[in-house]
Amino acid sequence: MKIICLVKFTPDIENFIYDYEKNVLVRENTRMVINPDDACALALALKYKSKHPETVVEVVTMAPLSILPHVQDLIRRDVDSAAVISDKLYVGSDTYVTSKILAKYLMNQTFDLILTGTHAIDGDTSHVPSQIGERLDIDQLSNIIRVDEQLLSLTSATVDVDAEHSISTYEIELPAILSLQKESKYKLPYVKYVDIEKDVSDRIQIIDNAMLGFDQSEVGIDGSLTKVSRTYVKKMSKNDRVIVKNDEAGIETVYAFLKEKGFV
Amino acid sequence: MEKCLIFVDSEYAKNAIELLEVARQIFDLAPYETYALCIHDITESANGAFDHIIYVSDESVKCHDAKAIAIIMEELHVIHNFGAILIPATQIGRMLAPRLAIRLHVGLVADVTAIEHIDGALQMVRPAFSGKIMACISNLGKKPIMMSVRQNVFLYNEDLNKATSHETFYPKSDLTTNIKWIKTVEKPKSKDIRDSEVLVSGGGGVKKGFHRLTELAEALGGEVSASRHIVDSGIASRSIQVGQSGKTVSPKLYIALGIYGSLQHVEGLKNVKHIISVNINKDAPICSLSDIVVEGDAIEFIEKLVDKIKSEADESK
Ligand SMILES: Cc1cc2nc3c(=O)[nH]c(=O)nc-3n(C[C@H](O)[C@H](O)[C@H](O)COP(=O)(O)OP(=O)(O)OC[C@H]3O[C@@H](n4cnc5c(N)ncnc54)[C@H](O)[C@@H]3O)c2cc1C
Ligand SMILES: Nc1ncnc2c1ncn2[C@@H]1O[C@H](COP(=O)(O)O)[C@@H](O)[C@H]1O
Repeated sequence: MKIICLVKFTPDIENFIYDYEKNVLVRENTRMVINPDDACALALALKYKSKHPETVVEVVTMAPLSILPHVQDLIRRDVDSAAVISDKLYVGSDTYVTSKILAKYLMNQTFDLILTGTHAIDGDTSHVPSQIGERLDIDQLSNIIRVDEQLLSLTSATVDVDAEHSISTYEIELPAILSLQKESKYKLPYVKYVDIEKDVSDRIQIIDNAMLGFDQSEVGIDGSLTKVSRTYVKKMSKNDRVIVKNDEAGIETVYAFLKEKGFV
Repeated sequence: MEKCLIFVDSEYAKNAIELLEVARQIFDLAPYETYALCIHDITESANGAFDHIIYVSDESVKCHDAKAIAIIMEELHVIHNFGAILIPATQIGRMLAPRLAIRLHVGLVADVTAIEHIDGALQMVRPAFSGKIMACISNLGKKPIMMSVRQNVFLYNEDLNKATSHETFYPKSDLTTNIKWIKTVEKPKSKDIRDSEVLVSGGGGVKKGFHRLTELAEALGGEVSASRHIVDSGIASRSIQVGQSGKTVSPKLYIALGIYGSLQHVEGLKNVKHIISVNINKDAPICSLSDIVVEGDAIEFIEKLVDKIKSEADESK
């Protein structure tokens, strides 16, 4: 089985520092990390490969070339090959364009299954997997928390999908796109000690626009149909608040408030 | 007159009504009509709220099949030329909206939480970077304006007694699906914190005595909720988490006990009428949003307030 994993590298948002004085995010020196959902999806592929050695796992990412060390790290975890789609023309692409670029690459590949994350923690739209599904005319399911490895075959997969109040099981014909969420808890394997310095550059292919052949007007900011016109850190609005101590008078104030508003 | 199509996710009928408020804000003063798309069953609450209900009864269309529903919506767009298409950001909605946007070749804004008009241009506001920043997005392409809308954020207070027209729609395309539903297992039911008018919520400051929040919640007839900090430490289940990665809640009263009030947490508080916060640090961000700030230990506060409520109740007997 050939599995393609779509991986996005994102800033390590959990460790962003927030400056409450200036109301800004301190983004300097933020590390890039593999998007948490994508790490689970890739981990599933590698787990399956470890039990079915004939499986081939390819990572595909669209990113600046500065993430190459991260891609090498994934290869050392037993990924067979990686395609890094990178071109200055692609900077600023919205999801409409991002999915167009990724789909153009994928269209010329053979695969039985595409695994992705459900959402990326930075742009956070959850659009890309379904948009690729539409462009490749195949099915796609988000919010997957389990793939039944026993039932995974070249023709179908059985998956558990997390919805708010319930978990539903579906059988989906392959090829299809399965989008995992990090609650699936699949864990990436460690790099074996002997592989830490291993040269893996021959397994990484860099794909630029000369290979994909888009017109400049179709991609990047020019091709995008949405535009981020402004970002801001949410202002905390101030109220005419009352500050009391945790003593009798304070409790009295709280109680009177609850009574006035009809809560007691 | 502009037309606005709203997808009704029958599992979250209430959210479809909220989207009427989004339509109202998009078209502002311009005249417009609203169309609800219902698959398989006509959602009762859509009657009277929408101008038109379009109903698809075709058995081969499955509610879980985003691909098929996107095709139906494209067929409808060809007929009606909608000015806007709004989809609730539910599990199916989030798979459906991107497919439809590709079919119609239009831009899509995800998970919108506010609508603004700036210099005559429509701006859609949405959280990104896990709720740490808000982004204003504009749509550059042609009609329709498309977005998915975050659940539980907008409130619709307009006419719910319209004379709604009904139409059954027969899709032309072949809509057989390759996704077979096998089973659905309900998650153990904890009361949904989004339905509660009073939430007693705990954060890092009440890690030790979190179980005691129930006493206050019971005294006030509310439910217990938690910040991410508590959920990540395994003390409470994700189903009661308030915030960007948890739920958006709109209680009348929110009592924040030992909660710092990170942006991602506050993102989950929408249309909350009153906040009382108890914190040893009166400058924690949550306190600046509060009607009353109680400076001190939160567990002690629970004990004192529960005693007070009980003794007042006894007295009035
Ligand atoms: C603040 C902000 C707001 C934005 N809002 C919008 C918006 O409303 N609409 C819009 O169209 N665009 C928007 N964008 C642009 C959008 O984030 C980018 O197009 C982004 O590259 C892809 O989207 P995502 O992060 O939302 O990915 P998601 O769709 O959330 O990612 C889901 C999965 O798709 C795969 N994937 C995503 N990107 C890549 C990639 N580059 N390489 C490989 N796999 C990938 C991964 O498996 C990932 O887990 C916004 C960007 C910013 C910074
Ligand atoms: N015993 C306590 N009672 C009330 N608030 C507390 C208590 N201990 C810590 N806090 C506050 O609880 C919040 C918890 O922050 P954190 O641990 O970062 O989630 C902070 O705002 C603290 O000031």
